[in-house]
Amino acid sequence: MLRSLTFGLLLMPLVMLSAAHAHGPTRQKVMETVEIDLPAEKVWAAIGDFQNLNWHPVIDKTEGKGGNEPGAKRKLTLTGGANIFEELLKYDADSRLMKYIITEVDVKVLPVNNYSSILRVEDLGGVKSRVIWKGAFYRGYMNNDPPEDLNDAAAVKAVKGVYRGGLDELKKKLEAAG
Amino acid sequence: MAFGVKKARVERAVAVLAAAFVFTLFAILAPSHGLVQEAEREALVTSQLAEKVAFVDLATWKVTAEIAVPGKPAGIALSPDRRRAYVTAPEAKQLVVIDTQERAVIKRIAIGNGPLGVAVHPGDGRIFVADWYDHRLAVVDPQSLTVTAHVTVGESPSGVAVTPDGRLVLTADRDSHQVSFIDAASLRVIKAVPVGERPFGVTIDAAGKRAYTANVKSNDVSVIDIELGKTLAAVKVGRRPYAVALASGRAFVTDQYVETVSVIDLKDLKVIKKISVGAYPEGIVADKAGRFIYVACWEENTLERIDARTLAVTGSVTVPDGPRSFGAFLR
Repeated sequence: MLRSLTFGLLLMPLVMLSAAHAHGPTRQKVMETVEIDLPAEKVWAAIGDFQNLNWHPVIDKTEGKGGNEPGAKRKLTLTGGANIFEELLKYDADSRLMKYIITEVDVKVLPVNNYSSILRVEDLGGVKSRVIWKGAFYRGYMNNDPPEDLNDAAAVKAVKGVYRGGLDELKKKLEAAG
Repeated sequence: MAFGVKKARVERAVAVLAAAFVFTLFAILAPSHGLVQEAEREALVTSQLAEKVAFVDLATWKVTAEIAVPGKPAGIALSPDRRRAYVTAPEAKQLVVIDTQERAVIKRIAIGNGPLGVAVHPGDGRIFVADWYDHRLAVVDPQSLTVTAHVTVGESPSGVAVTPDGRLVLTADRDSHQVSFIDAASLRVIKAVPVGERPFGVTIDAAGKRAYTANVKSNDVSVIDIELGKTLAAVKVGRRPYAVALASGRAFVTDQYVETVSVIDLKDLKVIKKISVGAYPEGIVADKAGRFIYVACWEENTLERIDARTLAVTGSVTVPDGPRSFGAFLR
């Protein structure tokens, strides 16, 4: 993701002006998962707090209010200093699921629009679980004929990168800690 | 007596005329409207990411056919006799005409830059296609299958609906926060009615009295009196409402972000229930009898059925990736 961030920074200013206009391109879907050799409760305990995304390697800081109630807000600070603002839509501790949206992000940071996401931990029985991270979003450029760094592929690649990076690191950390 | 004879003659003449009228009526209506009276047997699902249209049998609840439709199909409408489906393919910038019995694409018609919502005139079968990027409605002739006219509307029209009497075409102009009223005969815009923020789907009731828009940004449904050409009320629903279906005095609204269908009682305009459905519910439609509601869930990859009486989900079938079915998709 970070690579696409820097890349985006170079090409962005030209297209920013018209990008706010409207959507119409096709919404994209991404799902990444990881199996972890730990019970689902334990994994949820590590990632189930909306007010703490610091388990993700590119997140430096999570600040917010509203706890884990629908409507709660958080401000993420990335390692490079950029911010992403998010809002919790749905929280279900029993099914270990949260759903949230990005309310504000610069497409230079993450080349997406109208982004929503579900993070969930599935119980695979015994000491095994699966973390499922799903996203739905439009590309960074909302009109026809997007530049390459703001097209569907770029958006999908960036979101996949965020999910993959987070999930792989999570597995490593949690399994090492036991 | 003379009077009596005259009266009898007049009565006979009236009877003959009436019979002729009824016969003519049948002759006119039977070929085009005959099928419409039958209950729907199939749902046609536009699966946007899979680039397919899937046919779902509503009795066996199975996918019976899938046909390839390149160009990220989204909007759908059927001809009055249900023998054709008109599907918009925004990325191909086309309206795709499908023979619903042969299950085959019979024509692709170029439509501007962003075809999205589509509706069909109930009488003459003309096809109205909203063009998101060109801010106009394309009118397609059902015989020649060519674009015969354009009507400029507000910014980024998305949903389209035609009144049951065929008099008016309505477009939800998303970025103008309004509904355009177009005279279907003259193809002139006669009114622009302000609604909530970013209206997407627009649905007209069977009586042709009211229209409802799902407003993506203000998270509500606008209730429009068609005769007055005025918005009467706004009803708050779940986050990011997409489209509205109507059955037995209720509106069913897909709330994309919160995975529910909000049910509005149309008498007191209150939400009486939020039904949990699959993730990202989008296209929604009621059958003619008002017995069941069908919902395409884009993220869940399902078509789901809601019982309009019990308000419970009573069926679900997996369909190809990214079902949207934005429009009237039952046949």
